[in-house]
Amino acid sequence: MTKKTSVETFEVLNNIVERDQTWPVMTERHGVENPLPPWKTSLDGLCDALDQTCNSKPPLTFKERRDEEDELSASLYTSLPYPENQLVALAHSLLKRGVIDETELRERLALIRQRLES
Amino acid sequence: MSNSHHDHDHDHDHAHKPMVDEITDFEVLEIALRELCIEKGLFTAEEHRVFTEYAEQIGPTPAARLVAKAWLDPQFKKLALTDAIKACKEVGVDWLHPTGFGAPSDFMAFKILENTPTLHHVIVCALCSCYPRPILGNSPEWYRTPNYRRRIVRWPRQVLSEFGLQLPDSIEVRVEDSNQKHRFMVMPMRPAGTEGWTEDQLAEILTRDCLIGVALPKPGVTNNVTPLVREAIRPASL
Repeated sequence: MTKKTSVETFEVLNNIVERDQTWPVMTERHGVENPLPPWKTSLDGLCDALDQTCNSKPPLTFKERRDEEDELSASLYTSLPYPENQLVALAHSLLKRGVIDETELRERLALIRQRLES
Repeated sequence: MSNSHHDHDHDHDHAHKPMVDEITDFEVLEIALRELCIEKGLFTAEEHRVFTEYAEQIGPTPAARLVAKAWLDPQFKKLALTDAIKACKEVGVDWLHPTGFGAPSDFMAFKILENTPTLHHVIVCALCSCYPRPILGNSPEWYRTPNYRRRIVRWPRQVLSEFGLQLPDSIEVRVEDSNQKHRFMVMPMRPAGTEGWTEDQLAEILTRDCLIGVALPKPGVTNNVTPLVREAIRPASL
């Protein structure tokens, strides 16, 4: 059951948070030393590319993205470390604005996992 | 193909570093968001690739080089303090085209803040996490935290002391707040004990934290990362 909160929540993201495949858990499990997950710079590229497109216009301005990242990291996604909280907050902001919808994200996640595991 | 390629004499004894052999939800989520954004026309795959390449290659090296040059060359120092964007070009950073194809969203005016015997600068972005990335690389994690952003503007001396930097009352501390269009970097004072040093030697002690203003350059300190090595409490006995 979703907690009562004024912030909208998304089941697809809550499931990811609950499964807790965060980088510290992975490094512990696999004996790896890299401080950051391998997808981190790709996330940087994603944020930069989005900021370039939407610098001061919809669907998600630079300031909105960063403000929401701070707010969500300190509220809904407190259990996540950085940069997982940055990634999930970005997904949250895109879902909230309807840039992507929850069903299509869920389907895409399944498709990509299938592709990566093939 | 035979195994004969293993006959050559380089060292094969070293063990491969372990890898995370598991596909995580976060890795999948990053790809999904990126693909959906591309499909919706928010940016292209090539734009994403270029920004990712950019994020991977930036670091504090050009900034250290710039300050080392300024310490040695009064004319260049004057340029750095009056036209920082032009001075950056001399260390290979073009703020107008940092990625090679255009300016990222955070293009702005850039200013270098000179420390003096009575004035110390430190930079922050109280609003979010603006940072002079083209010349200093990606910001450290702590720079992005609300803890640093809120407290450095209110209690700068207290926060600096948490970084191990104690400044006497005779030195004024000025906190420069970045914003979407203005970025700053600190030019620390050249420390004693570096007389006769080359540009390369000087650049080595100009660590990222010195250029943010939470540390001072010191001869012999070339990296603010000082991992502690502790002896094992129960060492393995063979």
